[in-house]
Amino acid sequence: MNASWGNLLLALVNAALVLLLSPLVEGLLRKGKAFVHSRRGPPIFQPYLDLFKLLGKEDLRTSNDLFYRAAPSLSLASVLLLAALVPMGAAPPLGFAGDIVVVIYVAAMSAVLLILVAYGSGSPYAFVGGSREMMVLLAVEPVVAVTLVVGAMKSGSLATAGILEWNAAHGPAISMILAGVALFLALQAQAGKLPFDIPEAEQEVMGGPLVEQSGPRLALLRWTLWAKQLVFAFLLVELFFPWPRTGWWIVDLPLALVKVLLVLALVALVDVVNPRLRVDQAMGYFGRVAVSSLAALAFAVIGM
Amino acid sequence: MSTVVLLLSAAATLLVGAVLSLAVAHRRHGAGWVAVAAMGGAAVLAWVVVLRTFSAGPDPAVTLLGVPGLGAGLTLAVDGLSAVFLAIAATIGVLTTLFAVEYLDRYPSDSVAKYYPLLLLLFVGIVGVVSTQDLFFFLVFWELMTVTSYFLVVFEGESRAAHQAGLKYFVMNQAATLGMVAAALVLWREGGSFHFETLRPALERLLVREPWLGHGVLLLFFVGFATKAGILPMGAWLPHAYPAAPTSATAAFAGAMSKLGIYGLVRVFLTLVPVSSAMTAWGWVIALAGTASLFVGTLTALKQDDAKRLMSFHVVGQVGYMFLGVGVGLVLLPSNPWLGSLAVSAGIFHLLNNALYKTALFLGAGAVHTRTGTRSLNAMGGLGPLMPWTAGAALVGSLAIAGVPPLNGFASKWLLYATGILGGRGSPLLVILVLVAMFISLVTLASFLKYYGSAFLGPPAENRASGGGADGPPGGRPAPAPSRGRPPMGDVGPLLLLPQGVLTAGCVLVGLFPWVPLGAIQEGVVGVLAQVDPYGAAGGIPPESLGSHPALGLALGEAGLALWAPLPAALALGLFALLVYFGLQRAAGAEVRQVPVWVCGEEEDPAALRYGSGSFYLPFKHAFRGVYPTVRVQPPPFPSPLRRALNPDRWLYLPLAGWVVRVSRAVARTHVGVPQVYLLWIVLGAAAVVAVVLLSFG
Repeated sequence: MNASWGNLLLALVNAALVLLLSPLVEGLLRKGKAFVHSRRGPPIFQPYLDLFKLLGKEDLRTSNDLFYRAAPSLSLASVLLLAALVPMGAAPPLGFAGDIVVVIYVAAMSAVLLILVAYGSGSPYAFVGGSREMMVLLAVEPVVAVTLVVGAMKSGSLATAGILEWNAAHGPAISMILAGVALFLALQAQAGKLPFDIPEAEQEVMGGPLVEQSGPRLALLRWTLWAKQLVFAFLLVELFFPWPRTGWWIVDLPLALVKVLLVLALVALVDVVNPRLRVDQAMGYFGRVAVSSLAALAFAVIGM
Repeated sequence: MSTVVLLLSAAATLLVGAVLSLAVAHRRHGAGWVAVAAMGGAAVLAWVVVLRTFSAGPDPAVTLLGVPGLGAGLTLAVDGLSAVFLAIAATIGVLTTLFAVEYLDRYPSDSVAKYYPLLLLLFVGIVGVVSTQDLFFFLVFWELMTVTSYFLVVFEGESRAAHQAGLKYFVMNQAATLGMVAAALVLWREGGSFHFETLRPALERLLVREPWLGHGVLLLFFVGFATKAGILPMGAWLPHAYPAAPTSATAAFAGAMSKLGIYGLVRVFLTLVPVSSAMTAWGWVIALAGTASLFVGTLTALKQDDAKRLMSFHVVGQVGYMFLGVGVGLVLLPSNPWLGSLAVSAGIFHLLNNALYKTALFLGAGAVHTRTGTRSLNAMGGLGPLMPWTAGAALVGSLAIAGVPPLNGFASKWLLYATGILGGRGSPLLVILVLVAMFISLVTLASFLKYYGSAFLGPPAENRASGGGADGPPGGRPAPAPSRGRPPMGDVGPLLLLPQGVLTAGCVLVGLFPWVPLGAIQEGVVGVLAQVDPYGAAGGIPPESLGSHPALGLALGEAGLALWAPLPAALALGLFALLVYFGLQRAAGAEVRQVPVWVCGEEEDPAALRYGSGSFYLPFKHAFRGVYPTVRVQPPPFPSPLRRALNPDRWLYLPLAGWVVRVSRAVARTHVGVPQVYLLWIVLGAAAVVAVVLLSFG
């Protein structure tokens, strides 16, 4: 655990990887959804084209606050920081700087910034959307916290690398599998997919927090969401389903990527066959998931 | 100069300041500056004591004013634990007094003679409480604190709500103090002295011989400190008294006074209770009380639409975190002194952080109050462009209290969670408490996003500039004349901004360099443990276990069981943000245009489309309704003859007045306005006079 410039460089590599891969993953998911719908769907590289187009379009702003101007970049940066704290085929480059508690709080940062952008834009639709975003966060974060704490209880370490090593070495445990399933359920909402795309809800609040965002700001906020679903999927497969683990980065990363794609394909499948829930239904659902995931904690306590 | 001389001169400075500010009280600002000077001088002296204590080790205790017949004496000593609280109180004292100078102009009908002298006396009490080693004088200073702060709560003479809140505060705290006096007397009977060093074996004997009495003593102390700190249900006074006091006093209460409840708790339960199962049991009580309080307090805060009331409920919630930290520490100390001492440090560290951001937030709410004349979040909105500095301070404070890394609130929460989870391998209930605290941290975030969003963002509310506002004080300064959309008002003056700026900078700096204050706190806690239990608990704590490697942040042990390095994380975040901003957002060269908010093409008044603060998170608030039950307490029956005797209105004035009214009515009935009737009266009168004359002379 040495803090050095090398680690920062590795963090940059991680960040670039997430930045470049996340639109591709989103493109694959769109293709998969189109397949279920029996459509042809957009080209796989369409998300890149979307981003490229949006970055050059006129930026219409309703506020000129310093913080409001910086928020979309900070939001994407927070997800890139998260990417440096989460193992991706190798130990996390900034793993010395943050454990699972830091992961939980940094993961919430992009949502916080999105809500602040929403309130800052002044649109009543954005206020409704921001308020919903907060409620979804309130419902989902406890589930994420419980699952990661189960990992810490099993491995005796709060470091992400410590949990990963323990799980890879000591094989599957009931508690970890249960926690992984709970985290998978939370992933659906973290990625903003149906049935939990309540904050955006285009048909009700016209994109909610994003209603006043356009051009490069919209591009960055979209990118944030796509990067976040990729990082969360990595967190899920690396901490809870790390097998087989060779120890070579060159093998482990593609392996993890395949698992991530499988997980995200499942997420897309759930997305495509479900209608949107109301926010109180979503809170009730995640409340039940959080309480059930305490069972994983109980298993961890009795050593299973 | 020794510690004692410095402390005495600090107290003398405060007392002289109190007398002087009373003498010049007719000049409002003059009295304020006298108070600032006195508080500043005392703060410098206090900081010298703090720095000396941490650099050269604590001075030996000195006893002044011995009362041998009573076994009491004013024993003054400052150890590491006291020094931490002294530093917090000194800093908060200066900043809130500085804020008060201009802020109190809001209350033109209330003389500052009932503010500054009492505030300075309050800080004499605070200095006394943290530096005395004698329970008798501890309680004397404690009482001084309660009485002076009561008068600060009822400062606003014409406000009925303030008097009711003040009465509630006074009665609840007096009851709690009486309990502590009883506990002190029980210990004194056992030990024969009030000195902390003799109380420890006394309590140990009592716990062995008469466990019920021993635990009863501890219960009374627990209730006493929990009442002052604001732990529910004992702290039910707090959400009433805090909004009633002037904001500068509220900030001083939140930042300095109520923190002493935690000081007393740590002092008594760490130094008096033997490291044994009794400590673990009381640790559980404290941790559970803290968790209950943070759960109920914060969820209730989410529902508030009054800025100061919202923050007052958050005080209750935040104190819960501190109790949780101290409680977890006490639970773990007997089995794992290292983690235990770290958890206690986490609680105290959270206290320090809370003093920084909560004071800043209260002062920000006060600054908004002076400009808008209202505390209702529904009547604010869009203040961000008008008050940019206050808005910035409020944003940093809100993010800090919500625990957004890398600000200071996160650092203490992180340590609290880390110790709780690692300690939870032995006692799983701790993990549940930690998970509740994590959830509530998000509720805090929601609540302060609501506060920031509805006060500083969005369109301005229609009735902002309507003068005193619904709940503004009667003498409040009216806001500037309204103009459509943007009232012509700027930010508050530099005197009101400076304290907020200093505290906000403190939030950021402590967040980035947490090992500096945390190292001092840990040193204080370990020092106290080493003093009372040198071979047991303190022996198990590795020296330099924390904060010795700035580049690594805080690492629990060599293996890195829990890690948080704020500097690399902040550096990476900043670097990524700059890369994204300049490499992506600006690189494409998109044009920027300012546009009005799009509302589907309708021509609507922005104020009419405002999302009121009551509308935020409605389904969530609905799901947690009823967590704060309102209990109506009937006042106890007062002996009725006494009540009647004390009410002369009822038995003297009102009957007399009624009689006078009846007589004059009877007289008035003769005046009917008809001349013939008056003539008849004259004739009858003349006849009566003639009759009397004839009868008497005839």
